[in-house]
Amino acid sequence: MEFAIFFFFAAIAVIFALVVVLHRNPVVGALSLVASFFALAVMYVLLEAPFLAALQIIVYAGAIMVLFLFVIMLLNLQHVAEPATRPVQQFLGYLTAAAFGIGLIYFVLKYAVFAALPKGPFLANARVLGIDIFQAYVFPFEMVSILLLAAIVGALVMSGRSMKGGRAAIGNEVPR
Amino acid sequence: MIPTHYFLVLSAILFTIGVLGVLTRKNGITIFMSIELMVNAVNLTFLAYARQFHQTHGLIFVFFIMAIAAAEAAVGLAIFISLFHHRDTIDVDEANLMHW
Repeated sequence: MEFAIFFFFAAIAVIFALVVVLHRNPVVGALSLVASFFALAVMYVLLEAPFLAALQIIVYAGAIMVLFLFVIMLLNLQHVAEPATRPVQQFLGYLTAAAFGIGLIYFVLKYAVFAALPKGPFLANARVLGIDIFQAYVFPFEMVSILLLAAIVGALVMSGRSMKGGRAAIGNEVPR
Repeated sequence: MIPTHYFLVLSAILFTIGVLGVLTRKNGITIFMSIELMVNAVNLTFLAYARQFHQTHGLIFVFFIMAIAAAEAAVGLAIFISLFHHRDTIDVDEANLMHW
């Protein structure tokens, strides 16, 4: 039963990930990525990490992907046709990715096949994680809060149009 | 119980798909989504090893990676909005100047 769930959702994750990479329309790509992330959340549940599965859905599928969709629709990109990649580069890209993937899977199967899982349940609920974060990892936790603040400021500075005669107006005068 | 290497192989496949997207696409936002896919593949690896060794450190790394991915998405999409305002495109081949 567990194996059936694993293979079903693994197939969903891989197929929707392929749609993200191969589909021309970025809106379809973003929605497929949401579906892929939901399948990955099921994987997290199978790995006995239900707290992180909830975080995956709330943060990734809920917040980050909505931001992606918002930007795609704000820039009105769903109608813009993507220019075709030159065939030689396209072929080299597929070749490199295939070689990379085959090598990765080969070495995983050669070196990372463990005999058995350790006995006993793996306790990784929100309580255990919270105790760890606020004891051993309290300094990185504070650093992340500063990083998020810096990201907010950076996003505002870069995406905001200048008020009057700022950088955007100057940039438009430069011949391209 | 599903053995650990099943998850590792799934993670390798997803990471390879992300690499394929970064190497073959020209739309900046699609490349960015491929990077998110790779980040998630790495998260899956962290969780698989965390269960294999009964350690919570891997889970806490995933927690931090999610926070950093949120920051990265905010700043990266702001860069694309700025690029679009200047160039009217998010084709990464067009973004070939540091200053204009």
